[in-house]
This record gives sequence, C-alpha cells and structure tokens, in this order.
Amino acid sequence: MLLKYLFAKNEDIPPGTATIFFGYSSIFWFVIGTGIGSFNAAKLAFPDFVTGTELFAFGHMRQVHVLAVILGWISMAFAMTMMYMTPALGNTKLWSEKLGLWTAMNWNIGLSLGLFLLWMGFTSGREYSDLIWPIDLVVIFGVLLPLGINVWMTIAHRRTQGIYITNWFFGACIFFVIVVFVVGQSAELFNLTGLTEGYLTFWFAHNVLGLWITPVAAAIAYYTIPKLTGNPLYSHRIGHLHFWAIIAFYSTPASHHLLAAPLPEWLKSFASVEGVLILIPAVAFVANILLTMKGRWSMFVENVEIKFSVTGVLLAIPLNMQGGFQQTRAINWYVHGTGWIVAHAHLALLGMSSFLEIAAVYFGLQQMLRRKLYSLALANFHYWFVIIGFCIYWISMTIAGLIQGAGKIYEVPYIDVVIAEHPYMIARWVGGTMVFTGNLVWLYNMYMTAVEGTVVPKGRYAHELAYER
Amino acid sequence: MGWKFDNPLYTLADEEEVNRMIQLWEAEKPGGMWEGNNRLPYPITYLLALIILTAFLITMPIWGQRPTAELYAPMVELMDSPEVQNMATDEEKIAYLTKRAMEVLETSDDSRLPGLLERHPISWLDLQLIAPAIREIASSGGPYGLESYNVIGDQVVLANFEGNWREDGLRERVQPWWDKGFTIDVFYVTYFIIAMVIVCKRLPPYQRKPDMSKV
Amino acid sequence: MLGLSMSITLFFPSWDFRSAESTWVGLDKSLSNGRVIGWSYEDPLVRGDGKPITVILNKDPKTGEEFDPAIRAYVYKPGTPFAAVVNHPDNLGPTVKSLSISKGKIDQAEKSAGAVFIISYADVNGEEWAYVENATATRGWTPSQVLNSTDESQHKYVGKGKTVYITEGCWWCHTLLPEHTQDWQVFGWPPYVGDMNGEMPTAFGSDRKAPDLLHVASRNSSREWMMLHFFNPRLVQPNSIMPRFDYLWGKTDANGNPIDFAKWRKEYDEYRKGLRAYPPEVPEYAPDTEIRALIDWILTSLK
Repeated sequence: MLLKYLFAKNEDIPPGTATIFFGYSSIFWFVIGTGIGSFNAAKLAFPDFVTGTELFAFGHMRQVHVLAVILGWISMAFAMTMMYMTPALGNTKLWSEKLGLWTAMNWNIGLSLGLFLLWMGFTSGREYSDLIWPIDLVVIFGVLLPLGINVWMTIAHRRTQGIYITNWFFGACIFFVIVVFVVGQSAELFNLTGLTEGYLTFWFAHNVLGLWITPVAAAIAYYTIPKLTGNPLYSHRIGHLHFWAIIAFYSTPASHHLLAAPLPEWLKSFASVEGVLILIPAVAFVANILLTMKGRWSMFVENVEIKFSVTGVLLAIPLNMQGGFQQTRAINWYVHGTGWIVAHAHLALLGMSSFLEIAAVYFGLQQMLRRKLYSLALANFHYWFVIIGFCIYWISMTIAGLIQGAGKIYEVPYIDVVIAEHPYMIARWVGGTMVFTGNLVWLYNMYMTAVEGTVVPKGRYAHELAYER
Repeated sequence: MGWKFDNPLYTLADEEEVNRMIQLWEAEKPGGMWEGNNRLPYPITYLLALIILTAFLITMPIWGQRPTAELYAPMVELMDSPEVQNMATDEEKIAYLTKRAMEVLETSDDSRLPGLLERHPISWLDLQLIAPAIREIASSGGPYGLESYNVIGDQVVLANFEGNWREDGLRERVQPWWDKGFTIDVFYVTYFIIAMVIVCKRLPPYQRKPDMSKV
Repeated sequence: MLGLSMSITLFFPSWDFRSAESTWVGLDKSLSNGRVIGWSYEDPLVRGDGKPITVILNKDPKTGEEFDPAIRAYVYKPGTPFAAVVNHPDNLGPTVKSLSISKGKIDQAEKSAGAVFIISYADVNGEEWAYVENATATRGWTPSQVLNSTDESQHKYVGKGKTVYITEGCWWCHTLLPEHTQDWQVFGWPPYVGDMNGEMPTAFGSDRKAPDLLHVASRNSSREWMMLHFFNPRLVQPNSIMPRFDYLWGKTDANGNPIDFAKWRKEYDEYRKGLRAYPPEVPEYAPDTEIRALIDWILTSLK
C-alpha cells in the first residue's frame, strides 16, 4: 500500500508516509530480533533444543539477533523519528518523502539480505562489524547517506531561525555514524590486520554505541518529553553541555574494551579516564530531562508514551553508573567477558535506548496516521511485559556474571561455572520471551491502530484524545 | 557577535546578543516547543567535578595487576632455610613465608607490592615450581629484573606489557603510575572545560528567563 | 572536538601499531591463515578456499636432510593469495621486515607460481629474531614437492579450520584472549604485541560463556577427545552447554559410508534414558571435512 508511492511524484506523496513505512518496519524488526533472542536464550539454557542442523546452531543465530535489533529495530526507529521530528522542529516538511521511502526500502532489503547471509555463515568474523563489506557499503551508501541527506536538507530548509537540540543531535550523529562506519570497516576494505584490526573492531563497536545509539536516543527524549508534557525543556545550556560532552567523551574510550589485549598501555589509560567521564553527558542528559518533568509527574503513570520515555531515562542512571566504572582497571578484571557485560549491553539497548524509541514510535505513528492508539490496555500490557521481562533478564545475567567473575578469580573449573549459571540461563530465556511476547502484542496493537483507531481531528494531538479501549 | 570580557563568569555575550537570543527564544516555537535557560543545579555541578576527580583516581593502575616475580623473590630466598624446612605442613611453611615476604615488601619503594601479594597468594607446590626460574632471573643479570616478569601458574614469563622505549633499545615491562595517556587526558579535559565555559558563557546569563507565554 | 578525539584514538596509536615487531606466533598465525579469514574474493562461499596448507616437515623435500624437531612449512599452491605479511611486509614490523626481505627473499614470491614459506631465525645484535623465509627462492622447494614428499596426516588445514571457527560462531562463546590476573593461571599467558601481526580477523571474542582457547592444545591435545566433544559435547562433559557440531562431519565417514545421523540421535537418546549401556560410536571423519580442518587448527595453532 505504501509501496505505490515509491514511483510517485514527490509532491503527491502525503507527508508522513516515510515515517509510517519506517515505523512499521522497525516494529517488525523488533519482533524478529527479540524472537531470535528468545530462541538463542533457549539454546543456552537447553543446548539440545533444535539440534543437528547448522541453520539453527547458536553460532549462526547469535549475530543475527544482535544486528536485527541494532540495525533493524533501533536504527530504523531512529530513522522513523528523524522523518517526523526533524520537519516538525523546523516548522516545515520533510525535504523528500520519496527519498525517505526509498531509504526505508533499501534498508529493509539490504538488511534482510545481510542478515540472511550472516545466518548462512557469510561473515567477516568481526564483532558488530559481522556484515561482509559489500553489505557494509550498502549500509553506508544505500541507507545512511540518503538518510543523512534528507535530514540535513530538511534542517537547511527549516522555517525557524534556531535549531532545536534534537536536530543538532540528528544532523551530527548521522555524520558521525557514517565516519564511524567507514573507519571501522576500513579494516576489511583495505585488509588492515592484527592489532589494528582488533582495535578498529572495538573502536567501531564502541563508537557506534557512543555516537549513534545513545545520543540519538537521548535526542528523541529531548523531543518527546517536552512535547507530551507541554513543559519547556529545562535548559538549553545543559543541552550544549550534553552535546559537546558526548562528542568529547563518548568518541574516545574505545580501547577500554580490550584492556587485556596488548594495545599501547597509554591508550588504555587514556580510554579508562575518558570512560568514566562519559558520566558527564549522562548526568547532563538525565538532569535536563527529569527537571523538565517538573510538575507533570502524574503523566508518568497516566500517559503511556511518557511512561516509556521516563523509564528509559531512569534506566540511563544505572546504565551509566555501570558503564562508567566497569571499564576501569579496578573493576574490569572482575567482570570483563562475563554475563555482567551481557546484562549491561541489554540495559543500554533494550533498557535505556529501546524504551525511548518505543515511546517515540508510539507517538509518531499516531501523529502521522492521524489515528488514536487502538488500545491502552494492550499498550500497558506491552509496557509491563517488556519492563518485567527486561528486569528478569538484567538481574539474572548480572548475577550470572558475578558468578562467572568469582569463578575466574578463584580458578574454579569452568564447567562448575556453567553448572552454577544454568538457573540464570533459564531465567534469561523467560525474560527474553516476555519481551518478545510484549512486542508481538505491540505489533498487533499498532496494526489495529492503523485499521481501526479513532481518527484524530485536524489540529489536535493524539494524546489529547481519550482512549476507547 | 560582540564579545564582552568585563565579567566573564556572568556572560561573554554583549547586551545586543543577549537581547537577540532572548527574543528568538520568545518568538519561536519549533515544533510547538520551548526551551528554558536554567543553569545546571549546583549539586549537579559539584557532582560533575567529583566525576572528573574520580575518573583519574579510579583508573590509576593499582587493581587488576598481574603478579610479578618480584613478589615471591623473598619467599624463594627463605624457602630452603632450616626453620622453614623443619616445619611440619606445607600450609605452615607458606603462611610463614608469606608473612616474612610481606615484611620485606612493606619496606619496598613500590607501595603496590604488599597489596598485590595479598591478592595473589601462592601455594607451597607452585612456589617450588617457580623457584628455579626466579633464582635464575635474579642471578643472570639480564636486561630485565624480577619486576618485569609475571608468574603464570607454574611458569615465569616476561610481562606482555610494553611501555616506553628504554635507553638500551628495549621496552619498559613495568606499568608506571602515570603514563602519557593520563597526560593527554589532563589536556583534553582542560580543553573541554574551557571550551564548555566559553560555549555556556556566550549564552545569555541564566538569570535571564525567557518569557514563554508570548507566542 | 571530534577531530581531536579521532587523532588521539586513531592517529597516535597507529605509530605504536606500526612499530610492533612480529613474533614467531604472529608469523605462524599469519602464514598459516593466508590473506584473510572470512568472506573474501578467494573464498566467496566461506568454505575455507584459497588458504595455504601448513605442513609438518620432518625432512628436507629436496636434500632429504632430517629436521629434528620437525619444522612448519606453509604451502601456497599456485594462485593462492599470500599472507598479509608477505603482501605488505610493513605488517612484519621494521626489523623483521628487513630480515625477511634481505635474508628471506619474500619479495621474490610469485602468486602464479605458488610458494613455500618457513620461519627461520637470525641473530641481530645478540638477539634471536624470527623472520619469514621464502623457501621457494632460497632453497628451491616447490609447493608440489613439499606436499608430495609428506604424508597426508602431516598436512594441517589450519586456514580452513580457522574459517570454520569464524563461520560457525565458536568465538561467540570462546575467547582467544586470557584476561587480567588469575585468569592467566588457568588459561595461560595472554598474547604479546607481535602475536597478531598480519592476522585477520583477530576474533578475540568479548562474551565468554566457555573456556578461553588461546592455549587449549597445551591443556588437551587429544584428537579423539576433540572428535567426541565436537560430535556431541555431552559425551565427554555431561554438563556442557556447547551445541553439537555433528553436521561438520558432512554426509559420509572416513570409509565413505553414509552417516546415519537419525539413527545416531535415536540411539543417543536411548542411552540418555538408560536404555543402552553405552552411547553409540562416533563416526571417524573423512579427511576433507570441515571438522578435520577445525581440529587441525586447534591442535596446530592454539598451543
């Protein structure tokens, strides 16, 4: 239905088409990604679950889960929010709906192809850069660059004098992520080897989080929270601090992922200090958002988008406390490579980042479809399943990680660690499955919204209307 | 874009610039939203200062260090003495040796050593296995001393830490308290703070609250 | 701000990386892995094509002189792309590079003719340095000579084995990087600076759900144990959560008989229920299978 606009004239495409395409794609990938995650977790708890074929072997599925949620869900949700927030904040229209649609199209096709190849074992063997380099080129030139052009041109054609913080982040982060992709994948393109390759792998892995996933998620919160509460953003100047501190301190600590590797020791010292300083943008962001909520805290209970957003912001507090300190030499030797890190990664991507994007996708789709959300009850079901499932996952993996750490330090035979972790692996699977279930319900809820949601009258916002279910 | 330097902690922007920005704030509503001009609350500013201080203190290379051969050298020296040989059990021997080694290490220049030994106890069996290697390194007079070797299980190997070049063309194998990474950090953080202060002080002072009821 | 951070994190360390001198371990890894592991021009189906063969050589293929201990020869058949350290000698580090060119003649190697490389030693200022020697140029060994003068069991498919390690995702649970402090007491010493030169990918691994493998062959060098463990890890370790890798055996066993996986699994399930006293026999793998290459890599490279 949306595809008919791919070859239409740009003027004939209704505003919001690209947003809707990206929005539903992202939810779809979220369901796929968490479904594979839940399947993988089952295999860790019960290794003989679906066995005997390489297609469903853990080693073939693990990276598909990771990249489906990072490039499918999170990055597409980012693109979706950019498609509606950027023009809204410039009091203008999206520069090219058609380009947006084609970007979404390329993205879905390229990612499906890339993940299919990964699943079949076509990999570069570099964590987070697993995609083979021809697919990396598709990501850079077919997806990120067109997305960037659309956002940059929309900002350039804005009808306001100032640029709102969200748009600083959007414009800058797309530029950064392209740079990060090109530098990170240069190891494959130019056959850079050895320590250089190992370092570039984690340079990419760190910076794609630091200059894309975390700041864009924060930028989304800078839009949704003031928008839905109606409060002005607490402070423009703290926004400056956040923005520049992200660039300064989140782009530098890459080598703290490789403290045990023989990288130059000064680089590790440098990175560890910078790693703690990531708390500066984090504190600025959390303070700015929570102070914006002043006087509107009742919405945390009453409004489902605010509920998701504020939960995401609150989860940023443990996230950054963990992240800042676990990478120092003092703590890293205990937790590195254990389930603690797995828990931390899910706190970042499923906890902090995903919750902010879920809120923005809820809000944006209702806005662009001009339809009220189909069911509040299902949305609440979604919220509680995702948050409870996530907490089960996070807590169980943190405990498993501490057990592993202790096993490492006290030289326990590894198999005893595996046995001790077994109950937590089951809990991990239960938690992951709850998240997956919640997302299935969300997909249904959003489908019904498009089909049967109450039409929002012109000039009104969806969140001003009462729910019917 | 005028600058004003008479009260740099208040604002660096001149009156015209301040008024322009306040007006922009009050006249514009991008996407139906406003921005305030509040300062970071004082407690949070102190928190940031604390974070910067902590960042340097907690990353000092004290924890997560490898056991060096230097830790066990005093034990190796004493292990063949009659009083140790006369002890009944291995536990007694190693407890005695650890106590004596701790006394030696506490007087050493490197204050990290006692803590390291505490975190890396050794069994009598392992001590016997590594003793010949430690004696050989100590007596051979090679380019690296005991402090440059790590004890790994029953083996003594050259530390994989590679620091600055030494005068004899080899590399340092001992982790220093301070390396150029920290130095770069000091400059980098200072540069950031100066840049941030300028950025914030180019804005209208935080006492100037835009009146957002106008649009 | 971004420019400054890029120079500190990318430009400054590049000087350290460039000065890293390759060790014997680094030379061995690079020469046995070939140009690159994972998807590439020479290996578009990621089956381990276009990789050299590591041959355990106990006598000179030309003169018949005995080598004791046996040495490793890295045989590049005609058309096989050379290792990154041969293609770009800068990867070797300055001293090893000059030795490998002046003494080892690696600049004379021709891809179309193939080449045999070995690792030799030279004395520089009283220190022993390992360098790459192009035995085709210095000793006149040809790839086919080396392969034909040795037994099949001396051929180690190391590059192909590492490809299997990468494509099967072993590195999602196993690491190749022993960590700080006590971890080393169990898993051995961590790599030195020059241990990775020319290796791609390094596949350190970041999420450890299983033991570190960097020195696994020093702890356990039994080919039979590896075979049982890969076919079904729970045969040798009842509590293991490692997946079964029985599909790496392919369709037929060493004698060319088809492997009946369904029957094996049924009998194994009966064994687990206590209906059989012993588990079914694990079939011997054929010489050209992925499992052979994987075990070759583990036992040859991860010492």
